[in-house]
Amino acid sequence: MLDAFALIVMQTAVLLVVAPLIVGLIRKVKARLQCRRGASVFQPYADLVKLLRKQPVVSSTTSWIFTATPYILFASTLAAGLLVPVFISRTPLSLAGNIIALVYLLALGTFFLMLAGLDAGSSFGGMGSSREAIVASLTEPAMMLSIFAIALTAGSTNLSTIVHKTALLQGIVTDPSPHLMAFAALVIVAIAETGRVPVDNPATHLELTMIHEAMILEYSGRYLALVEWAAGLKLLVFLTLIVNVSAPWGIATSMEPAALGIGLAAYLVKVSGLAVFIGLLESMFAKLRLFRVTDLLGTAFILALLGLIFFYVLRG
Amino acid sequence: MPLMTPPIGSQLVDLGSALLLLTCFGIVAQRRLSACVDLFALQSVFLALTATLVAFLTGIHHIYVAAALTILIKAIVIPRILKKVIERLNVSRELVMNINVPASLLICGVLVMVAFLITQPIIPFGHLLTRDSLAIALAIVLIGFFTMIARQKAVTQMIAFLVMENGLFLGATAATYGMPLIVELGVFFDVLVAALIAGIYTNRLQDAFDSVDTTHLSELKE
Repeated sequence: MLDAFALIVMQTAVLLVVAPLIVGLIRKVKARLQCRRGASVFQPYADLVKLLRKQPVVSSTTSWIFTATPYILFASTLAAGLLVPVFISRTPLSLAGNIIALVYLLALGTFFLMLAGLDAGSSFGGMGSSREAIVASLTEPAMMLSIFAIALTAGSTNLSTIVHKTALLQGIVTDPSPHLMAFAALVIVAIAETGRVPVDNPATHLELTMIHEAMILEYSGRYLALVEWAAGLKLLVFLTLIVNVSAPWGIATSMEPAALGIGLAAYLVKVSGLAVFIGLLESMFAKLRLFRVTDLLGTAFILALLGLIFFYVLRG
Repeated sequence: MPLMTPPIGSQLVDLGSALLLLTCFGIVAQRRLSACVDLFALQSVFLALTATLVAFLTGIHHIYVAAALTILIKAIVIPRILKKVIERLNVSRELVMNINVPASLLICGVLVMVAFLITQPIIPFGHLLTRDSLAIALAIVLIGFFTMIARQKAVTQMIAFLVMENGLFLGATAATYGMPLIVELGVFFDVLVAALIAGIYTNRLQDAFDSVDTTHLSELKE
């Protein structure tokens, strides 16, 4: 009981602390590739502190949804983070839900963010919400299918079981073909869901192409801080999901301090490696036209579907 | 279910084959011609890696030669020829397709299933190194064939042809541990000559019609 409580506190702390760092790291990688020095990787922390101190401005035409959304978004994303094994193969909330709960906790945040985008009545917000709805509805099936492809090979939809079994190579036929397909699909989904470059550009605020930034245009002060922090958390949750499902080795499988230390170090190395990879991807590709986004997400869907079919056709 | 874990080597061969299939989907989804060429070069590198792995696992030395030739011809020489051809053209991307990208992807997904269903009964009889490679090889051949039908530009059709050849090579490596060396040398030479001829033909097409759309070839008017 005490263990479980300690684990919740530790994992929450790790997620909250690492999330801004990952955002900063990706920005730094992009800056270096553009031959700029770029801000320090710790800049997002300073931004958060600054925003939390500022007084928020709320439009008088908005309803309660606008002020409640940052809290709902932040809480649901954090809860989703607690369903994913981070540095130990046990998850704090594994009794509360499995992988399906994770997908829909993230979707809940997205849903409220879309409502909030519409709430202020600005045309940018509405545009952003409608685009986010397109992207979200296309990523959801791809994400579900890719996760199911992995869950089927592990024989459980509980992430902690999947990761634990894969880490110890316990009774699992590690099956490269479906895993690779699911991995590729998950990477595309993560990029689309977190508003990264081929789909959305996190660095623009003044373009007609923005999606996520358009929805949060009306936010300021501590509300904006929470929304930004939640966006960082969501990115971190996706990266964690990808690294721990496809390469969980090094993760702690028991509560011993030494194992925890190794698990934490391995986790930080893996996640920052993937963050650097995402920074590279962002620098290599131009943003897609909105109507081409369906091609990309269609690819993710087909790959995830193939991962699933590999399992049924070949092992069935 | 305590299934027997297959040895790590054959899993790596499977992984290589799956990477080949992944690049195939990349080529189907990609509209930019030069990116298609890059993806083909990447696919050839994966093919060479897979072949090297098979050579290492089976101890058959002439597959190393084939892998080296794959790198040399398919990952370096042919992409260069194709890039040169593309430089001369007035198009950089495939705009009009017979079948649009999402539909193509769906059809390719179905083709992969067909390939798996066809090879499913064969697999238990052979003494194959891997479970997936043969099926994936057949899938790559089918996808290449389909892409040749679905696209209109001569360059894309040529890439699709080369992808088909990659699939055949993977199939030969996975199913029979490579063909005799002399046959492989002949095939490499053929592919190289085919790429050269197709390059010249694309240029002629560009000169004659001011476009590389192969549908022009069905018009018999002067």
